[in-house]
Amino acid sequence: MDSLIIEATEDSPKIVFDTTSNRFTISGESRPENAGKFYSPVINWIVKFEETLAIRKKEMKDESPLVFVFKLDYFNSTSAKYIMDILLVLKKFVDDGYKVNIEWHYDKRDDDMLDAGNEFSDTVDMKFDFIEY
Amino acid sequence: MTQVSTAYEVYQFMSAKNILVAFTGHFDHLVTTSLLRNIKNKLKDLQSITGIDKKVYNILVESIENISKYSSKNTKHNIAMLLLCKGEKNFTIITGNHVLNKDVPALKERLDKVIKLGQEDLKKLYREQMLSKRTDENSAGLGIIDIAIKSKNQIKYDFKPLNEQTSFYLFQTEINIQK
Repeated sequence: MDSLIIEATEDSPKIVFDTTSNRFTISGESRPENAGKFYSPVINWIVKFEETLAIRKKEMKDESPLVFVFKLDYFNSTSAKYIMDILLVLKKFVDDGYKVNIEWHYDKRDDDMLDAGNEFSDTVDMKFDFIEY
Repeated sequence: MTQVSTAYEVYQFMSAKNILVAFTGHFDHLVTTSLLRNIKNKLKDLQSITGIDKKVYNILVESIENISKYSSKNTKHNIAMLLLCKGEKNFTIITGNHVLNKDVPALKERLDKVIKLGQEDLKKLYREQMLSKRTDENSAGLGIIDIAIKSKNQIKYDFKPLNEQTSFYLFQTEINIQK
């Protein structure tokens, strides 16, 4: 499956879902005018991606983890619901037997971003790697 | 017509009240984006090592988005207000916008419900709303809960009745500068 790359705008994050390195990064600021319009294709891509993995899984014995990276400066509460949707899809990856690492990057001055990460991690019941910058 | 002396009074008032940003107008996404760009630069100048600039920015965005979520759809009354003030001990963000009187009781109820909650209950409510089905109603609710959590619930509101149909809805958040 081809990688998904969406350039950042002033109100929407950069998406780099790299299928060669299996590193999937969402970074920047997220308060799109229409969050559904922005995130639906992104979520659909991840769902489709798992389908291609399901095919490859049979050929692969020793899988390296899929690394999902959240490196957001800011996200609004509407975006929060879509981030939750993405995490729920990733949770399904884990349930299906894939190894998934979630990295939550946060500005070391930004306690709210760290708290938000902890809150997501608890809610979805998945362990995050917290990385400050 | 506004006189030069009136303009000077406005300036004096703004200086005395430490108003960093005052804006009235129609808040659409474009206006909001350019306003936020300007405010982001202003906050950057404050050179905060505590991250207060980030917190103020976060709450500001959510407050502005609340304006559009709760504004009466009547375009004639679509003029809203934003104030950002910096005192010695705290930042104050105030938004004001027109709402329909018939929507006031439900809005009041929602605000009162959030205002009386402590931090743990707020987080619980936030989690419930985040996992609940997505509607316009609860996405707006999530914003207010988010502001309450980030400001340690220093929210106040008021409704000034204007006429039989509309009221002016004021929403204020204080953010302590000291952690």
